[in-house]
Amino acid sequence: MSLLSADNRRDFEIHRYPLLVYAMVPLASLVLQAWLPRVVGRYDWFDLPLVVTVYFALGRRSPIQGTIMGAGMGLFEDALSHHPIGVNGVAKTIVGFLAASVGVRIEVENQFIRVLLNFSLSLLSSVIYFFTYRFLLGLPLDWSWLTELMRAVGNSLIAIVLFPLLDRLQMRE
Amino acid sequence: MEPFLVRYRNLVVLLAILMAQIAGLAVQVRHNSTGMNALPNSSDPPDPSSVRLIRLWGNAIISPPERLIHGTKIGLGSLWTNYIDLRHVRDENHDLQKTVDRLRLEQAALLEDARQGQRLQAMLGFQEKYIYTTVAAQAYGSSGSDRSHVFYIDKGSREGLKPDMAVITADGIVGKVRDVFSHTAQVLAVNDATSGAGVILETTRIRGILRGDAVGRLEVVGVTADQRIQPGEKILTAGGDLIFPRGLPVGVVEKVVNDPERDGMIDIIVKPAAHLERLDEVLVITSTEPRFSPQEEQDVATSESQKDVVPTAIKDQVKASEIMAEKLPGLIDPNLPPDKQPLNDSSNPNPAAPPPQPLHPDEFSPGAASTPGSDTGTEPAPDAQTKKPVVPHAAEGNGSKPQPTQGSKPQTTPRRNP
Repeated sequence: MSLLSADNRRDFEIHRYPLLVYAMVPLASLVLQAWLPRVVGRYDWFDLPLVVTVYFALGRRSPIQGTIMGAGMGLFEDALSHHPIGVNGVAKTIVGFLAASVGVRIEVENQFIRVLLNFSLSLLSSVIYFFTYRFLLGLPLDWSWLTELMRAVGNSLIAIVLFPLLDRLQMRE
Repeated sequence: MEPFLVRYRNLVVLLAILMAQIAGLAVQVRHNSTGMNALPNSSDPPDPSSVRLIRLWGNAIISPPERLIHGTKIGLGSLWTNYIDLRHVRDENHDLQKTVDRLRLEQAALLEDARQGQRLQAMLGFQEKYIYTTVAAQAYGSSGSDRSHVFYIDKGSREGLKPDMAVITADGIVGKVRDVFSHTAQVLAVNDATSGAGVILETTRIRGILRGDAVGRLEVVGVTADQRIQPGEKILTAGGDLIFPRGLPVGVVEKVVNDPERDGMIDIIVKPAAHLERLDEVLVITSTEPRFSPQEEQDVATSESQKDVVPTAIKDQVKASEIMAEKLPGLIDPNLPPDKQPLNDSSNPNPAAPPPQPLHPDEFSPGAASTPGSDTGTEPAPDAQTKKPVVPHAAEGNGSKPQPTQGSKPQTTPRRNP
């Protein structure tokens, strides 16, 4: 039995999905992110596009794809808000890149690791957003770190449910 | 060069995308005159066309499925409410019918009062703005982020919406239209940190600026500490921001906290009158110009014509009084020497009674050397006093008795020309 090279191991563990999943899941996450806050009121401590970005970046293990997906999701979120377009884009671009880069090096099948990564990257996304808005752009911004912590917890809870569901949509060899 | 790009292609792509977005951000944020960066909102120029295009695309892609979901939810809700959950409807209908009958009677009385009030204000020339044209809209989506308290409504420029129009519900104010597309519009809620509206406390008449804080709570800022502000006091729009008409309900004072950034100032936490988190139907105020129904306009025109008649009658009365005064003998004739004045004319068979001499003369007595007018230098010119004979008070024509000014004594004698 020959040993797998690093590239072969990476190719073997890449998750592949139908094209429809690539198109519909991010779109659904954006739509639900825009619609659900009207249902749950002020308890909208979640960021579905971020969770989906992390999931696909971890699964695909391609930093370029993770970067592009994060940028796209972030820009869409910015387009729906009244903030400058690119603040969420920058944050999620970096998150997508890091998630994919980490996914190359660790075992992403482990549910606990994925949720922990999700929690960490959520906080990182908030930090980057805050830094970009307050310091890079020099704009005034009211901020609540407690809310950001709750958002990271909410994203982790969603990841616990959503990741296994999305795993079922993988294309099996 | 090529191996470098290939080897670090991940980083190169990351940096390229980041730089592109940062460059785009730099275009959107402007440096204003106060030395602070600012977003292009209502007080600044609108979004650049390229940014607006991105928002338009985002809205065009997200809105249709979002409206579909919202419509489905509404449909299922109405299916349950209108066809399934109909217990006790007959009894409720009976009670409601009674209420409607009672309210109709009350409405008739109130309508008369309202019409009268409008007529009076129109006659007085008040420029009060009234809400006369609104567009009902359905709120269906949000920004998806609690950092941006905006929501979307299903009416746009085709329905006459424009930026900076006020959005309200029957309970109170909600926000203002920020961006308008053809069939949708983005509304900036009043609880956003970048929002602002002039408000006034109903009882204490203290003014402040309404905005949202980091967690989406409503607060009034820019208020000096005042013991009179108590929880429960109503807050209304002040009308000075040119967006919200005056007097619309905003909410009630929930509590008062010290402003952490400015000494002596307080922040008033507000419990909003409208349910900002659960909005369905909203009204967009598209016109606040004073406008009356044909009947009311006719009433106002009648009042205006009557208003013109009154000064004409007064002028006629004054003119008649002056003519009468010219025909009556005066006490002072400017064409006669002092010894021939009517008061001193002994040949007159019916001489005017000389004024009684004061028992205790003072500065106001006829012939006194100094008068208040002379002290202040405001004594009228002699010509003005001597050209016309004394006109009786009744000749002033308004039919009302002249009111003595404060501090003056009732004049019992005719004024003598000094």
